[in-house]
Amino acid sequence: MRKAIIGAVLVVMAGLLVGAQEEIVAGFIYVGPIGDLGWTYAHDYARRLVDEEFDWLTTMYVESVAEGQEGAIIDRLVAQGCNVIFTTSFGFMDGTIEAAARHPDVIFGHCSGFKRAPNSMSYMADFYQVYYLNGLMAGALTETGKVGYVGAFPIPELKRHINAFTIGVKEVNPEAEVHVRWIYSWYDPGAAKEATEALIAEGCDVFAFTEDSPTVIQVAAEHALPSFAHYSPMLEFAPEYVVSGQLVHWEAIYRDFLLKVHQGIYTTTNLQHVDYWWTLPQGAVELGADFGVAINPVWEDELKAYVIQHPVFGDISVYDLVFIRLSQFADPGITFDPFQGPLYDRKGNLVVPEGMWLSYESLITMEWAVDGVVGPWPGEPEG
Amino acid sequence: MRRLGPLAFERRLTPSRPAVLGVSLLAILAALGTMSIIFAAYGVPPLRAYAVIIKGTLGTRFGLMEVLRRTIPLLLCGVGLVLAFRSKFWNIGAEGQLLAGAVAAAGVALFTDLPPPLLLPAMFGAGFLAGAIWGMVPALLKVRLGVNDVISTLMLNYVMIYIVEWLIHGPWKGPTMRGFAYTDTFPRAAWLPLIPRSMVHWPTLAVGVGAAILVALLLSRTRLGYELRVSGESPDAAHYAGISFLKVSLVVMFLSGGLAGLAGVGEVAGIHHKLLPPIQISLGYGYTAIIVAWLARGSPLAAVVTALLFGFIFAAGDEMKVTLQMPFQVVGVFSGLILFFLIGVELLMYWRVRFLPKGEGWTGKAGS
Repeated sequence: MRKAIIGAVLVVMAGLLVGAQEEIVAGFIYVGPIGDLGWTYAHDYARRLVDEEFDWLTTMYVESVAEGQEGAIIDRLVAQGCNVIFTTSFGFMDGTIEAAARHPDVIFGHCSGFKRAPNSMSYMADFYQVYYLNGLMAGALTETGKVGYVGAFPIPELKRHINAFTIGVKEVNPEAEVHVRWIYSWYDPGAAKEATEALIAEGCDVFAFTEDSPTVIQVAAEHALPSFAHYSPMLEFAPEYVVSGQLVHWEAIYRDFLLKVHQGIYTTTNLQHVDYWWTLPQGAVELGADFGVAINPVWEDELKAYVIQHPVFGDISVYDLVFIRLSQFADPGITFDPFQGPLYDRKGNLVVPEGMWLSYESLITMEWAVDGVVGPWPGEPEG
Repeated sequence: MRRLGPLAFERRLTPSRPAVLGVSLLAILAALGTMSIIFAAYGVPPLRAYAVIIKGTLGTRFGLMEVLRRTIPLLLCGVGLVLAFRSKFWNIGAEGQLLAGAVAAAGVALFTDLPPPLLLPAMFGAGFLAGAIWGMVPALLKVRLGVNDVISTLMLNYVMIYIVEWLIHGPWKGPTMRGFAYTDTFPRAAWLPLIPRSMVHWPTLAVGVGAAILVALLLSRTRLGYELRVSGESPDAAHYAGISFLKVSLVVMFLSGGLAGLAGVGEVAGIHHKLLPPIQISLGYGYTAIIVAWLARGSPLAAVVTALLFGFIFAAGDEMKVTLQMPFQVVGVFSGLILFFLIGVELLMYWRVRFLPKGEGWTGKAGS
């Protein structure tokens, strides 16, 4: 017992000593304003959480940094004493890698890119599994057989999400289609409103989207149509009509990484192969219209009443199917993936053969459109 | 002469140089004074704020380099606009002309096989031509069809913005960018050299200073410069003197657009090394340059000073965001205040204020 106490005291003291050497000043560089209710807001929310959680951590942030300016901002942050710097836009990738070479004593993390260095890791919290779960519900709720999707830019990330969403829709409603409109902006409530109304005119009656405002939800609610939230808790904008959605927990990644830097596990020399690609199992993303509300209770009965003949689970309600899939995703020994074969693109080509899953590489470079997607798809492979 | 209580106001035709300098400095001081209130309200002691800003911009080598880096596009666009404004051609289109230059430079960098020593000069040449052509369109529209130059130059900015968007989402989208909307990275030979340990692409800076000197000589020492000034100050006189309005407008916009095009070349070849979304390429340099040119009061050499002033404001904004941890809106407030006061004191330059109690001053000694 006494030994245990002495041991514990020693461990605590050692921890304090290491902690004293490992004071971390982390700088966060954002591409947008922290009040955007989307991407930048989510990163900043996570920054504040970890800042409060760890007493050996102080944080700084710089918002609305244009691409190409990150190099100068990084130099200024280093001059302010930052020893860990996170850059949170794809366009900051080259500038971050160059800065990592300029500042070999500083640790870097770049979000959503693919380049790394001995002192620069990459990280991403991805939603494709959650989109698939949203798709299951959307497929059950559409009466016209047309689900609307308002997309920001036709880039692989969105194509992956729309494809996963469509795979979910078709799993419970094989005849349904997903109609896509692009607005070419991450934040443009005006364009999002127009796109939603155009989709309503086409006959769509359930909506999902990628845009940093609750516009699609609000427009759909004006027509008494259900929708799925994107990125931030948006339940309050239409409590009767938001069914579910995707939520991000960047703090899961920041907490893990900063703790490992603090403990000396990650250093300025061993990050070349450190790539966080965190999804449901690691808690980096969550299914829901609000934190802790996976499915809006208003829609529970309708989802429970929609029973399908499932090839694996037999007669099952979509409500139950969502939670079975959710537990499969949360299982570290992942037993199911939305992109498992056989999968055909919308031109009829077999993309994923029976029994195969897509590799990480294929997921992050996805350009094809899965069968069931309707509408323009810039960059779609020929043939 | 007008009176307000004991004060008398006299109109000046042209403000004297000391008056311009003195009053401008006064305006900047007044802006800094007003900004102090905002700093204090935000919880930062004003003196500390100014100490931080000065140290982070003028007080270190890094800070000075940042001021220079931000000055480059403002100088090139600003000198071009001074030229246009001298001939009373209201070119609001430097932003689009800058982007045109960036597009042309990217095209040369990505899709030609020129040997390395020729590549950068070709990019500058193509960028100048693209900006010049984009600038000459509104000149033709104005002279031939009477289309308002403010509207046409402004609208062509949006046309060019969408051309860039289309290029990076469509035909020029880079296969190595994993589907993101960028062109591929330029080959190394198309990167501008930098001043060591800085991000200042010095060739563009040298071109900018050279352009300011050449435009100053053009305006003061050449026949073309004379024609240009006359058609700006008195179109009727120019017409009777046989000066071709078409020729003057085309030449002015060729040069003005071309210089903005060079600024675009510098941004993509010196900083980004690829073509990217237009709002990230330029940060509104083409619009800020309007103020640079306006404050330079028709002098290309003064544009060097005013471009440096705005280079300082941009760099000071970064320093405020990083070191003082202020929100980005405060940066806009800061530059807005300086502008507001600089333009607000215009009046003081053209009106001489004198203390004249009632009963005096009507003797004519003031020269009214």
